[in-house]
Amino acid sequence: MTTRVYVPSDSTAISLGADAVAVALQDLPCDLEIIRNGSRGLHWLEPLLEIDTPAGRIGFAETKAADIADLFANGAPAIDHPNCLGLVEEHAYLKPQHRLTSARIGLISPCSLDHYRSLDGFAGLEKARNMTADDIVQVVTDSGLRGRGGAAFPTGIKWRTVLDAPAEKKYIVCNADEGDSGTFVDRLIMECDPYCLIEGMLIAGLAVGANEGFIYCRAEYPLAITTLQRAIDTATEAGYLEGFSLQVRKAAGAYICGEETALLESLEGKRGLVRFRPPLPAIEGLFGKPTVVNNVISLASIPIILAKGADHYRDFGSGRSRGTLTVQLAGNIRRGGLVEVPFGLTLRQLLEDFGGGTASGRPIKAVQAGGPLGAYIPADHFDTAMDYETFKDIGAMLGHGGLVVFDDSADLGHMARFAMEFCALESCGKCTPCRIGSVRGVEVIDKIRSGEQPDDNRILLQDLCQTMIDGSLCALGGMAPFPVQSVMKHFPDEL
Amino acid sequence: MTVQTDKLLRMAEQITANMAYTDDTEVVAEKIADHLYRFWDPRMLASLKAYNKEQAESLSPALAAAVQRLERAPYS
Amino acid sequence: MGNWYRVGAEQDLGTPLVAGESLITLSVDGMEISVPEGTSIMRAAALAGTNIPKLCATEDLEPFGSCRLCLVQIEGRPGYPASCTTEVSEGMAVRTQSPRLAELRRNVMELYISDHPLDCLTCPTNGDCELQDMAGAVGLREVRYGYEGKNHLDKTKDESAPYFTFDASKCILCSRCVRACEEQQGTFALTIDNRGFDSQIVASQNDAFDQSECVSCGACVKACPTATLTEKSIIALGQPDRATVTTCAYCGVGCSFRAEMQGDQLVRMTPNRDGHANHGHACVKGRFAFGYATHDDRITAPMIRDSINDVWQEVSWEQALSFAASRMQAIQSTYGRKSIGGITSSRCTNEEVFVVQKFIRAAMGNNNVDTCARVCHSPTGYGLKTTLGESAGTQTFDSVMQADTIMVIGANPTAAHPVFGSMMKRRLRQGAKLIVIDPRATDLVDSPHVRADQHLQLRPGTNVAVINALGHVIISEGLEDKAFIQQRCEVDAYEIWRQFIAREENSPETLEPVTGVPAAQIRAAARNYASVPNGAIYYGLGVTEHSQGSTMVMGIANLAMATGNLGREGVGVNPLRGQNNVQGSCDMGSFPHELPGYRHLSDLATRTQFEKAWGVKLDAEPGYRIPNMFDAAVDGEFKGLYIQGEDMAQSDPDTQHVQAALSAMECVIVQDLFLNETAKYAHVFLPGSSFLEKDGTFTNAERRISPVRKVMQPLAGMAEWEVTCALSTAMGYPMSYQHPSEIMDEIAQLTPTFSGVSYELLDELGSIQWPCNEHAPNGTPMMHVDEFVRGKGFFAPTPYVPTDERSNNKYPLLLTTGRILSQYNVGAQTRRTENMAFHAEDVLEIHPSDAEVRGITDGAWVGIKSRAGETVLRADITTRVQAGVVYTTFHHPESGANVVTTDNSDWATNCPEYKVTAVQAYPVSNPSEWQEMFSKFHAEQGNFLDQRKRKKPVTTQS
Repeated sequence: MTTRVYVPSDSTAISLGADAVAVALQDLPCDLEIIRNGSRGLHWLEPLLEIDTPAGRIGFAETKAADIADLFANGAPAIDHPNCLGLVEEHAYLKPQHRLTSARIGLISPCSLDHYRSLDGFAGLEKARNMTADDIVQVVTDSGLRGRGGAAFPTGIKWRTVLDAPAEKKYIVCNADEGDSGTFVDRLIMECDPYCLIEGMLIAGLAVGANEGFIYCRAEYPLAITTLQRAIDTATEAGYLEGFSLQVRKAAGAYICGEETALLESLEGKRGLVRFRPPLPAIEGLFGKPTVVNNVISLASIPIILAKGADHYRDFGSGRSRGTLTVQLAGNIRRGGLVEVPFGLTLRQLLEDFGGGTASGRPIKAVQAGGPLGAYIPADHFDTAMDYETFKDIGAMLGHGGLVVFDDSADLGHMARFAMEFCALESCGKCTPCRIGSVRGVEVIDKIRSGEQPDDNRILLQDLCQTMIDGSLCALGGMAPFPVQSVMKHFPDEL
Repeated sequence: MTVQTDKLLRMAEQITANMAYTDDTEVVAEKIADHLYRFWDPRMLASLKAYNKEQAESLSPALAAAVQRLERAPYS
Repeated sequence: MGNWYRVGAEQDLGTPLVAGESLITLSVDGMEISVPEGTSIMRAAALAGTNIPKLCATEDLEPFGSCRLCLVQIEGRPGYPASCTTEVSEGMAVRTQSPRLAELRRNVMELYISDHPLDCLTCPTNGDCELQDMAGAVGLREVRYGYEGKNHLDKTKDESAPYFTFDASKCILCSRCVRACEEQQGTFALTIDNRGFDSQIVASQNDAFDQSECVSCGACVKACPTATLTEKSIIALGQPDRATVTTCAYCGVGCSFRAEMQGDQLVRMTPNRDGHANHGHACVKGRFAFGYATHDDRITAPMIRDSINDVWQEVSWEQALSFAASRMQAIQSTYGRKSIGGITSSRCTNEEVFVVQKFIRAAMGNNNVDTCARVCHSPTGYGLKTTLGESAGTQTFDSVMQADTIMVIGANPTAAHPVFGSMMKRRLRQGAKLIVIDPRATDLVDSPHVRADQHLQLRPGTNVAVINALGHVIISEGLEDKAFIQQRCEVDAYEIWRQFIAREENSPETLEPVTGVPAAQIRAAARNYASVPNGAIYYGLGVTEHSQGSTMVMGIANLAMATGNLGREGVGVNPLRGQNNVQGSCDMGSFPHELPGYRHLSDLATRTQFEKAWGVKLDAEPGYRIPNMFDAAVDGEFKGLYIQGEDMAQSDPDTQHVQAALSAMECVIVQDLFLNETAKYAHVFLPGSSFLEKDGTFTNAERRISPVRKVMQPLAGMAEWEVTCALSTAMGYPMSYQHPSEIMDEIAQLTPTFSGVSYELLDELGSIQWPCNEHAPNGTPMMHVDEFVRGKGFFAPTPYVPTDERSNNKYPLLLTTGRILSQYNVGAQTRRTENMAFHAEDVLEIHPSDAEVRGITDGAWVGIKSRAGETVLRADITTRVQAGVVYTTFHHPESGANVVTTDNSDWATNCPEYKVTAVQAYPVSNPSEWQEMFSKFHAEQGNFLDQRKRKKPVTTQS
């Protein structure tokens, strides 16, 4: 009897030796069907080998090519092997999750249309095809979905603006320039379930009357780009892209190009320079046409919303934050990976129950949430519920859902400096507060840290932060002070 | 032949060629005559008339007809 | 007379005018104001009298929102939106001042100054620096960051461009220069390199300015709010103390400028934002190339001599004029009244042209008056008068901004009419389609963000065949506008034309072997032009300077009428005039058959009106045209010529014939700034005055009459109009005006299309497009709106009569001539400026395959020979020209481009056929015989000038 074996093929697993594992499996004298699935996002367990059994898929953690012979020594998988995790679905990290958007990652072979369809793939698109544009937009509005790129703007309202904008040509642009520190869920979707994103974009096209789309994908994600391209080619051949032209564009390699207006400039072939708003991209976006610009996760959430209805999605979550959040645990954490859960869990639940504390075993000192421009959250705020509004109340933000953990050995004064340094490095240079302010920010922090008129310079730094926040053209300069301010507030001894 | 007469003939024939969109010599001759009258110095017209008197056969028919018209009212 | 403004008075409202339909009312600091929808808060505030601090915003450019000084607070909205990029909305309450705003602006300014040299007192723009102004406006008192931080103060200065410097250490990265280069000029020479703090402005691929694509239009320099981009004249001289609005004396665009002065010294020419033709833009010539006006070569004392083999003698004005008058009178008494004549200049003012033709008609008593427009746009006058009824373009320049398809025929606007070329490019970048009909691949055919949809690269001399083929497609494919033709045109004439044009001989397929243009391209172009809502045609000398120039102009008018592309915005037939006052010199009665306002001499009523006003009997018959004068001179019948501001020995075709004619005359009077080529054949030299030295008006290609204002005294003591009047008086017909405004009053009194024009009205309106009369008291931007000037439009049949000038075994190539951006016409002005850095000599463009078979290498000397003559130039091997065609310019006298051109001319107007000469080209090592003769003659005449007997110096009273 043929045994089906799953070897993950995303960048994480491959970087940890998954390809060698696959080769080793091929060399075995057993009757195996080797399937290259995506990753389930349990990164500390990669390469996570799975083997089909009548009871379900059982997993083997951190599999090396050298382990393969042992695992199949008896011709059948060694379920008594110390690395055996038992049934993967039952794993304590996975079981409590509510995987809506990431429902299929790790389960299927990324570019297999059969696999995709077997797990409700294209169900949302089929529904959408029988709906009016207006109704599709209404469902998305009713679902309560908000932009998962970080700004949390209601997706339905954005779509409504584009739908109502009269134009012969409209575009769907997917922001896949995932650049926040500690984030990887966009990559997981693109590498592990690309059709989900494609389906979301097709539905968006139907909803707003756009017939062309672009995926602006981070240049440092070569595998995502090839996977998407393969998926687009396959879906095109199968007829799914009839009437819709979809292209993957390699991004320009700048953090600022993840800012939606700079992204549009870059996509037009220009310098990634931030545009002022209004006009909103929904009115004058790509090439001056009404454009939906959504993050990968926003678009990848659309198929299930359409397939299962607005209520199903909206019933998850808390307060005004509806549905699920794809939290990414990174930094100094024992169990790093993807955790998709409804809004409302506390930070502590994520860090401790899922993450298991720091990898170093030392106490957590702070967490930076929402990317390099997010505040450093001290331990006494760990009982904060994870939703947009509650986080805002403590001066933090969820952003794209990345959590980067620091233990008590971290120098947060240095991390504050890094925020300004990062801003200086990634500033497009258009507006003055960001272009010059970030450089001066580094210099002033250096003066404070070296004891040069520290009191005056702290006042100056506060002043500079507020100037950047109030005066910058976009969120890069406008938010770079947040980590600095949070350190000054919560860790006054360090800056 | 003077520099002037030589050129005048060339210019007059050129005008004739550019007026000749129809085979109707009368129509063309009238247009040529009108053009010459409106734009040419009388001394140039005099040279042309003099030449026409002596060697009308060497001019194209429409031009010769036009120059003859210039001898009559309303041109003269 | 003339408007005087204080320097700096040109208010900058921060963002461009928006022509919104409905008005929005908002309050700015409690003050209510209504502005058009779409207006920025910044502009609204400025209109309400509140200048919000700004650095990256300027009225000339689209808002950018980068400096963050113009932040405001809006009631009910969070944060501090930028007032330049935020549009007004109904009921909006804006606060431009608050303690927090003051603090924010000061803090932003503090950041700027933390990376800026503190050398204000020795900075060239001290007193004219927006950064300095804003630091003052926001009350910056200290820079808490110190000056030791990261900075750009050690950046080096690029001084490679002829007219301005680039000092990166003073750059504040506002991008105004980059945006000016893109939005206003359309050259895209500037960009920002790197990002963040390392961002820097660079030219092309980080090249020195003089090695970059920069065309020195000066838009970036004007846009720069600091000393980063500064005119070298300002660096050398300091800031001006006053400015006068005047009109550029270069091309037919007629840009309005502020002449900025220190005393009687011109410090800078700045394009005037209120200029109706240029809207604040300029080109390298008008903006910078004014040094000729005070060049050492200027001759400022009148000179006379008995023969052209004599040394010149400086004399008083009285002596010179009496010498000239008596010589002319003597000629008349010996050879007859009609043995002399005069030439008006398209470079002089309308008033001067009017006075010259009056002088000739009234004092000389004949109609031997012609103008240099004879050799450029006379076919336009003939063709448009015949078809539409008026010898002028139909639109304003601004009309192009509403064109959907632009057809450019035989014109190179980015080189010859640069400011209009930039406007056209702006429209093309907005998506208008482009058809270029030109033997050469001009800049418009393929340049950054502009590409021709169809480039009909025809063989020189086949214009009419192409226009007929286009007409044929329109008729045979049913693309004509039947309703327009029915209502607006003479139907019988249309029917004759329709039958003519529909003949198979006019089909693109039949004509393909003649024109060299694939029939499919012609068909595509015809559909492109005929099927859009607004098709506009712009043409230049590539249309007129042919043996069928007039036919082609009529063919163009036919095409526009057949497609209904006349009489509204965005359409029309638009000649691009070469020189500043070509239109005006024609309007002013410079032609031998017409009185001012294009009225034929034979019209008794018109003639009587002039006879009454001038108190003389007028000759009722046409006089000589320029070429007729030369022919008659060679034949010994034409003996005296008064030439104002034209250099026919260089500019007119068949130079050797011109030289023979000039040599044969007994009195040649030249009035010019310089001892030009023609003056070498003169007996009397009357010094001219530059456009800076006199009052008057120029009329540009859109019929726009614009004021020329005196900013300094005439170097020679008299302006041309005064000299002409004095000469007329000396010849027995007294003319006297106190001021050019009186001449304009006389023009208005005698010319129905000008009857409403006066200096007072010009001062009030800034400029006026004629007709301006009781029907159109403020002028006429667009012509032929409800009906054509002649009533019904007239379709003139346009048979294609090939030129006699055909290539053959002896002369297998076709030479065509044209212009380049940095030089102007015969170069008398531009050659006496730093523009020489751009174009020091005329070269012969030749296709690689033609060069190869002849053994001609790039940069080597090449001989060019036609049946008229022979000259030698350096070869420029390029694919801009097609195989079989060579090209050159005529900006330098020693090039002798016109030694090669022939006496062929337009059948209707005698406009020379500069654009087609059959030639042979071959490698040589020596200059041509003509060039050797030229240099000998040049040296000899130079000596006659150098050795001139000087007048006793006038002692100045202390």
